[in-house]
Amino acid sequence: MEALATFYETYQSTIAYVGLNALLALSVYTTLSCGQLALGGAGFAAIGAYASALLTLRAGWPFPAVLLAAVVLPALVAVPLGLPVLRLRGVFLAIATIAFGEVVRLGIVNWDYVSGAEGLVGIPQKTGVWMIYLALALALFVLGRLRGSRWGLALEAIREDEPAARTMGIPVARYKLAMLVAGAALAGLAGALEAHFTFMVAPSGFGFEKVVHMLVFAVVGGSLVHWGPVLGAALLTLLPEILREVAPRVGLEPGPLRQLVNGVVLLLVILFLPRGLASLPLRGRARRARWVES
Amino acid sequence: MSIQQLVNGLFVGSMYAVFALGYTLVFGVLDILNLAHAAVFMAASFVALTLVEALGLSILAALPIAMVAAGLLGLVLERIAFRPLRARADSNIAGLISSLAMATILGAIAHELWGPNVTRFPFDTLPNATERLGGIVSRMQLTVIAVALVLVLALTWLVQRTRLGRELRAVAESPRAAQVVGVNVDRAIAASFFISSALGGAAGILYGLAYDVHVEMGRSVELKGLAVIIVGGMGSMPGAVIAGIALGVIETLVVAQLGGSFRDVVSFAGLFLILVLRPHGLLGAAATREA
Amino acid sequence: MRRSRFALSLAAGLALAAAALPARAADPKVLKIGACLSLTGPAAVYGAQQKAGLLAAVEELNRQQYVPGVKLEVVIEDDASTKEQGIAVYQRLIAREKVAAIIGPTLSNTATAANPLAQAAKVPVVAISNTAPRGITDIGDFIWRVSLTEGQVIPGALKRAQAKLGFKSAGLLYGNDDAFTKAGYDVMRSALDGMGVKIAGTQTFAKPDRDFNAQLTALLAQKPDILVVSALVENAAGIVAQARQLGWKGPILGGNGFNSAALVKNAGPAAEGVLVGTSWNRVSAEPANQAFLKLMAGRGHEPDQFCAQAYTGVLAIAHAAKLAGGKTGREDVKGAFSKVTDLETPLGKFSFLESRDGSHEPALQQVRNGKFEIAQ
Repeated sequence: MEALATFYETYQSTIAYVGLNALLALSVYTTLSCGQLALGGAGFAAIGAYASALLTLRAGWPFPAVLLAAVVLPALVAVPLGLPVLRLRGVFLAIATIAFGEVVRLGIVNWDYVSGAEGLVGIPQKTGVWMIYLALALALFVLGRLRGSRWGLALEAIREDEPAARTMGIPVARYKLAMLVAGAALAGLAGALEAHFTFMVAPSGFGFEKVVHMLVFAVVGGSLVHWGPVLGAALLTLLPEILREVAPRVGLEPGPLRQLVNGVVLLLVILFLPRGLASLPLRGRARRARWVES
Repeated sequence: MSIQQLVNGLFVGSMYAVFALGYTLVFGVLDILNLAHAAVFMAASFVALTLVEALGLSILAALPIAMVAAGLLGLVLERIAFRPLRARADSNIAGLISSLAMATILGAIAHELWGPNVTRFPFDTLPNATERLGGIVSRMQLTVIAVALVLVLALTWLVQRTRLGRELRAVAESPRAAQVVGVNVDRAIAASFFISSALGGAAGILYGLAYDVHVEMGRSVELKGLAVIIVGGMGSMPGAVIAGIALGVIETLVVAQLGGSFRDVVSFAGLFLILVLRPHGLLGAAATREA
Repeated sequence: MRRSRFALSLAAGLALAAAALPARAADPKVLKIGACLSLTGPAAVYGAQQKAGLLAAVEELNRQQYVPGVKLEVVIEDDASTKEQGIAVYQRLIAREKVAAIIGPTLSNTATAANPLAQAAKVPVVAISNTAPRGITDIGDFIWRVSLTEGQVIPGALKRAQAKLGFKSAGLLYGNDDAFTKAGYDVMRSALDGMGVKIAGTQTFAKPDRDFNAQLTALLAQKPDILVVSALVENAAGIVAQARQLGWKGPILGGNGFNSAALVKNAGPAAEGVLVGTSWNRVSAEPANQAFLKLMAGRGHEPDQFCAQAYTGVLAIAHAAKLAGGKTGREDVKGAFSKVTDLETPLGKFSFLESRDGSHEPALQQVRNGKFEIAQ
C-alpha cells in the first residue's frame, strides 16, 4: 500500500501530463479526422492558459467559470482564423496556422501586463488529476459518438476525397471549421488545466516545439481512431520517465544519450507501425479473429 | 533605411537563402518537409569546425569535405527515414515525424560528441578586416555572400542544364511518369537528398563562420527556413533565394523602423497574410495550395 | 530433515541480518542532495557547468569530511529544459529518492512551476541559477537561493561604471523572450532611470538569434555613451563582436550572461574592455575562491559563474547540516539555513537574507588582455 502511495507521489505529475498531452493530441486529431493538418494548437492552448490565469489571478473568477472561458475564448478565435486559412491545403494550412501560433506567442512575449517572458507565476493549483481525466473522458466520449454517425461519415468522406465529398453535397467548409473550433476548445482547456496545475504559465511553453509535439502524439498514436492520439501521448510522455527509471540500471547517465533513445523509439514506431500504436490492439484482434475462423 | 542596414539585411538574407535552397529542393521533388534539415545544418558546421581545428585544414578544403559529409548524411536520412515511407498514403505527415526523430537523434549525437558549449571557428579562418562599401562590410561577410552566390549558381546550373537536373524535374512533376520514361526514381530522389543536405550543410558552415557553432544553432533557421520556402513557392529555387533575401532585408527594416520586438511578429503575420491573400506564392506554380 | 534445514536457514538468515545491522550503523550518515538540471535542450550549456560544480563540491567536501560523520551524496536528474520534466524530477527526488534538499532547477520558468511542490512537501530547495525577482523565494519558507538576482548585481555595477566613465546616455539591448534576460533588462532600465541616465534607444532580440547587426546599427545611430546589454551566454559574444565590427568604440556593459570564459574565447579581441556586472568575481584572491579555481583546474574544467554558484549551493547545504550538528533531516537543513552567515565560498562571504535570497558582494569586472580583471 505504501509502495503504491510512493508510486503515485512520484508519478502524479507524469500521470497528469499524460492526460494533458492526450487532450492536446486530440485537439490535433479533430482536424486530422477531416484530413486537415492544422497546427495552431500551441496558440490556442496559450490563449486558454493565459485567459484562465488572468481570470483567476486578476478577476478572481470561480474555477468552473474560468475553465468555461478557456474553452470558449479559443473557440471564438478559431472562427475568424478558420474562415480564410481552411481554404489552404496540406502543408500550407500547417504553416499558416503555425504562423498564427507564433504571432500569439510573440504577442505574449511583448505584452508587459502579463510580464512577457517571465510569465505569470503564483497561480493557485486548482486542477486535480481527476479533472484532467474527466475532461479527457468527455472528449473521448463525444469523439467516439461521432464515429459511425452521419457527422462522422461526412468527416471520413472529406478526409478520403474532399472534392468528391463536396460533389456529394457535404458542406465541407462548415465541417472543417467545426472541427477546427472543437480542436481550439480542447487545446484551450488543456492550457487552462495545465496553468492551474503547474502554478505558472510562460510563453516559452507555447512555441513551435509544443505544436510539433502535439502532432507527434497524434500521429504516433494513430489518427484513424479517436483513442489513438491518447496512446501516442501516453507513450511519449511516459518514455522520458521510463528511461529515467531504466537508464541508470544499464549505466546510461542523464544527458544526450537518453534523448537519443527517445528519438530512436519515435523513429521505430513511425517506421514499423504505419497506423500508429492504435494498430497494435486492432492487429491483435484481427489475428485472434483469423485464429478463431481457422 | 541606411545603406548599412541594407548590407546587414542582405547578409542575413543570403544565409536564409542557402539554407532554404536545399530545403525546397527536397520539398519540390518529394512534396515532403524534411525537418532534419536544420540538424544537418548544425552537424556540418561541427564537422567543418573539427576539420579546421583538430586537423588544421584550411576552410577551403574543409568546406567541400564537410559538404560531402552532409550530403552523405542526407543519403542516410533518405534511406532510413523517408524511403520506407514512400509507398504510404500519409507519407508526407509520416515523413515529417520520422525526420523529426532523425533530428532528435542527430542532435543527441552531436551533443555527445561536441558538448553543449557555444564554440566558434578560429579567428584567422577567414579574413576579418572590414571595408567601407557604403556601409561597413567585413571581408568575412563578403566571402560568405560570394560563396552563397556560387552555390546558388551551381545549383541552378545543375538543375537546368544537366541530365540529373532533368531527372529531378521529371520526378518532381510525376514520379510515375518519370519512371515510364526511364528515370531511375530511387536514384534521383537519393541524389536530391544528397544535394539538399550538402547545401544545408554549406549554410551551416557559413553560419558557423559568420557567428558561432552550437548544438542548438538549427533553431535559428528552422522555422524561418520553412517560412521562406513556403513564401518562395513550392519547390521553387529562385523563389527560395528571393524570399530568403527578402526576409533578411524585411527583418532588418522592421528592426530599424519599429524595433526588434516587432521583427518576428511582422514576419509571421506577413507569412500568414501572404498565404491567405496570395495562395499562389511569390513565384509558385499553379494553384496547388488551395483545396 | 526438511524442517531442520528450514530452521537452519532461518537461523542463518537472522544471524546475517543481525550482523548487517551494526555494520550499517557504523557507516557514516548520508546527506542526500537531489539536483534538477537542464542537461539537454537549450539550457544544456548551463546545466553542464552546474553539474561540474556539483560533482566537484560533493567530492571535495567529502574528502575534507566537511560535515563530520556525514557523507554527501548527489542524485542528478535532467529536466531537458522543460517544466514538464522538471516537475516530474522534483516529485521523483521528493517521493522516491527522499532527498534532504534539492538544488536547481536551471531555469527560472521551471523553478516557478516546480518549487511549490517542494514547499508543499517541506523539502528545502537551494536555487543556484534562478534570478527572476518574483516566483522563487517568495513561494515559501523552504525555498532559498544562492544566486543573486539581477537587482542585487546590476544597479551597483552601473553606478560603479558611471563613476568611472561618466556616461550620460545609454543604448539598451536585451533578449525579450527569456525570463532571465527580460528580468535583467527591467533592472537595468530602472537603475539607469534612477541615475538620471538618458535612454537613447532600446532594442530586443530573440534567444535563437545570432545576427545582431540590425539592432546594433539602429542603436549606435542614436549615439549613446554606453551600450548596456542583457543577454544569455550564447548571445553575448556575438553582440560584442558585431558591435565592434560596426565601429563601436565606446564601452559595453553586460550582466551575468557575460561572465563566461566563452565571451573572451568567442569574441576574441572584440571583448577587450567589456564591463561585466556579475555575482562571481572570478579573479578574487579570497582563499575560498582560489581553492575553488585550483580544484576545477585539477579536474580539467574551466568554470563559469554557474559552476561557482552550483559549488556554493552544495557548500551552503553542507554547512547547514554541519550547523545542525550533523543532522540530515529536511527540517534540520532548512532550519539551519538562516544561521548561514559569512560563509567562505567561491562567491565571497556568503549569507542568507531574511527573504531567503542569497547575499554576497557582487563585482564589476573588465576584460583586459583576454582576461577578466576587477574594474578599477
